[in-house]
Amino acid sequence: MRENHLKILQYVTGIGLFFLVGGYHLLLMHLGKGDPESWSSVAQRAASAGWLTIYILILIFGIYHGLHGVRGLILELSLPNRAVKVLNWSIVLIGLAVFGYAVYIPIQAF
Amino acid sequence: MEKITFKVQRYDPDKDKKPHIQQFIIPFRHGMTVLDGLIYIKENVDNTLSFRSSCRMGICGSCGMLINSLPMLACHTPIEELKKDTITVKPLPNFPIVKDLVADLSALFAKHKSIKPYIMPQDMTEADKPTAEFLQARGQLEEFVQFAYCVKCGLCMAACPTVATDKHFLGPQPLAQSYRYSADRRDCGAKVRFHETDTPHGIWLCHLAGACSEACPKGVDPALAQQLLKRAMISDSLRLRKKPVPPSVAPPPAEKKPRIAVPEFTIKQPGTKS
Repeated sequence: MRENHLKILQYVTGIGLFFLVGGYHLLLMHLGKGDPESWSSVAQRAASAGWLTIYILILIFGIYHGLHGVRGLILELSLPNRAVKVLNWSIVLIGLAVFGYAVYIPIQAF
Repeated sequence: MEKITFKVQRYDPDKDKKPHIQQFIIPFRHGMTVLDGLIYIKENVDNTLSFRSSCRMGICGSCGMLINSLPMLACHTPIEELKKDTITVKPLPNFPIVKDLVADLSALFAKHKSIKPYIMPQDMTEADKPTAEFLQARGQLEEFVQFAYCVKCGLCMAACPTVATDKHFLGPQPLAQSYRYSADRRDCGAKVRFHETDTPHGIWLCHLAGACSEACPKGVDPALAQQLLKRAMISDSLRLRKKPVPPSVAPPPAEKKPRIAVPEFTIKQPGTKS
């Protein structure tokens, strides 16, 4: 994938995170009823397909946005092309591993 | 102010292990530029001092140096404007040093060449053997003319913090020129240039620090050009960019003027009949 497409995804995930995390906080802290941190409301959200979708989207967007940012920082170290390839694959593998581990909890709870 | 102190970085790769500072105290006169000071030192104090200069009027871009920690053209910098009695002059950073104040700009020119800094018409034979003149409206020219004032002095590359950390980064000068030619309506080579700049060391490493625009002595604003290039590349990826339309061709002149006769050589060349 060209850098251009990766950067467009970076912008899309950034904007997506703004609305997803913002909306999440708005719904829970200001528009929701009761204590959002109580066991019953957490269990209720965990059993909801809508909340599960939101959690997974936040996870995907957050992992992509964060790891692409880290990749951008490392790329400034004048790496040769071979090292860039190693870096790209490392980032992909780390992203998949983190996603696999992190998505396990909400899916199990669902 | 009757005297001015120049602290000049000296380095001869054949003799010195590392650069060192040499101090010169020279007479000051009203209107003197930093380049005038360096020329005075070379002519009257130390003729081994090396620096580049040519036009002395900010056109050729040869005398780019680090003057009091800022990249500037020495010929374009009056000493009075610096408002200091001591001037420190060093070669441009982010480039290897050839000798004293002479930086090796070959990396800049190689990067500049890599982005294909020329008009690429749809029909490349037209580039080699043009048959007509392409029309360009004033508004079309104004879309990029600011970026065409670049003199390739390298000050923007010396000021760029990303070039300082990543030597493979294309840098503000080639990227600004990439936009300059891609925005030209006579050009159809934007796709090729976008391909050259869309790399891990390409346009997306620009963080818009803006140091390049601040350093530019010609008001080119390379930071703006890079932002416009990013926008053009994203539009192109999302297929929102207008397809290049071949420019209209100027009609042939109604009357052909006779060519001016080439004057004969005043001194006859050897082998020619008189």
